[in-house]
Amino acid sequence: MTSRLCNYLVAILLLVTGWTCPVHSSTLVADLDLDQVSITIDFNGESLLLFGAVSGGTESDIIVIFKGPDAPIALRKKERASGIWMNRQTIIWQNAPSFYHIFSNRTLDEVLSEEQQARLRIGAEHIGLRTSEVMLDKEKAKAWRSALTRNMTERGLWKLNERNVSIIRGALFRAPVYLPANIVPGEYEVRVLHLQNNQLVAEDTTYISVAKTGIGAMIYAFAHDYSIFYGIFAVCFAVFAGWLAAAAFRKQ
Amino acid sequence: MYIYLPIAEISMHIAVVIGLGGGVGFLSGMFGVGGGFLMTPLLIFLGVPSTVAVSTEANQIVASSVSGVLAHWRRGNVDFKMGGILVAGGLVGSSIGVLLFSILRDIGQIDLVIRLSYVVFLGIIGVLMLMEAARAILRTRQPGAKRGKLHQHNWLHGLPLKVRFRKSKLYISALLPFFLAAFVGVLSAIMGVGGGFILVPAMIYLLGMPTYTVIGTSLFQIIFVTANITILQSVQTQTVDFVLAGLLLVGAVIGAQFGARVGALLRGEQLRGLLALIVLAVCLKLVFDLVITPEDVFSVEFLR
Repeated sequence: MTSRLCNYLVAILLLVTGWTCPVHSSTLVADLDLDQVSITIDFNGESLLLFGAVSGGTESDIIVIFKGPDAPIALRKKERASGIWMNRQTIIWQNAPSFYHIFSNRTLDEVLSEEQQARLRIGAEHIGLRTSEVMLDKEKAKAWRSALTRNMTERGLWKLNERNVSIIRGALFRAPVYLPANIVPGEYEVRVLHLQNNQLVAEDTTYISVAKTGIGAMIYAFAHDYSIFYGIFAVCFAVFAGWLAAAAFRKQ
Repeated sequence: MYIYLPIAEISMHIAVVIGLGGGVGFLSGMFGVGGGFLMTPLLIFLGVPSTVAVSTEANQIVASSVSGVLAHWRRGNVDFKMGGILVAGGLVGSSIGVLLFSILRDIGQIDLVIRLSYVVFLGIIGVLMLMEAARAILRTRQPGAKRGKLHQHNWLHGLPLKVRFRKSKLYISALLPFFLAAFVGVLSAIMGVGGGFILVPAMIYLLGMPTYTVIGTSLFQIIFVTANITILQSVQTQTVDFVLAGLLLVGAVIGAQFGARVGALLRGEQLRGLLALIVLAVCLKLVFDLVITPEDVFSVEFLR
């Protein structure tokens, strides 16, 4: 933790000194306090700090879009059939982001109009989500999209974190990011937008990789790459464990 | 301390996992049952994906059955000839079950089928056990009452391929145990259970086996059926989490020791009555979940 704090302070120092002699009319630099998130055997989510600096005026707004790798997601709808609730309809979202958090210092609508959000591809409605079947009925499409958003939000994977970016003296900004334990490994894209008077003035993109490491990653790779041997190993392990348990308690 | 389960891909507190194993182990030691029928639904209630719960529980049952069968084997209470036929049927049934499982998963109906299977079988077994226990308790209060016949001969005993089972003192068609085991094998694969709760009463009442060979022989068979499910699920769906299975087992082994001691203090019919009530409680919870209007009729699932 100390080293992470150090990194953060050094980076801020660099940014502040850089900011005092601006080259462009607007500069934007952003970074995270970690280079990589490791899913280890004791992983239970990870807190990150996104930080950076902007220059070029006082009325700055910052929007951050933290996006995980796309994943095919099945969205199912239950209906009542002879008294019991069962899945009756399924739609596959082919390119939905597995993680999608948006951070802003004011509410998104205060900063950007609906058209601007669409043009800048901000928000689940504006990132061109594709489904397995074309939904011609507008109302139906809307209901399914909001169901996807609702379910992903409930899992902590999609979220609009408004007023969660703090801007310090119009130059430094920071936002706490929480990656929950159920995140999908892969490359995460962090898009930072700098806006002034409701207009985009600068944009910076950085990446962070989330990867399984250590013993958990080895077990996962074993199970997927050598699945038959994994199965045989699991059985041998169970037979041995069962024998051990019986032997340990035999005297009693 | 949290542990990130590498195959289930969820994070759980280690005390919750071992505590769950201990709690179910306690009940299984107390009642002399496998406990899979409690463990699998509880894992699903705790948020473990149903596919991982079923496959992992099969792996854990391998261990608990090995540990259980050793004592019966030493006492000579395993009928290997009957066991062999039951294993053959069980392997066929469980292989079909694993295939059915992955088809049902692909069409998004596996959760429903798991839950419905539990409701049907827990309901039937629970009610039968409760009635039997109630009769037994009433009988002890009326010492003059007569005992019923143990088993009756019917058309099932007229099937071909008759085989003599010396240990079990039986002369019956081999088709009967084969198809019984095949049927239970399918359920085993879909429900994530050993199937003892169906196999044991069926061996006593349907096959007419003497009680002393039933437990050992069924445990012997369950080892092979659950080992088959573990390997097939590993290959087909990669959903066997042996870290989860190992942690559950640690709890279960310890819990079972305490359970067995408490169980020894209670009378047989009281134990069966109590077990019947637990079985029916799990069944009712599942029925409740199926019939009440869900908070959200939509649900998401990540596809691989």
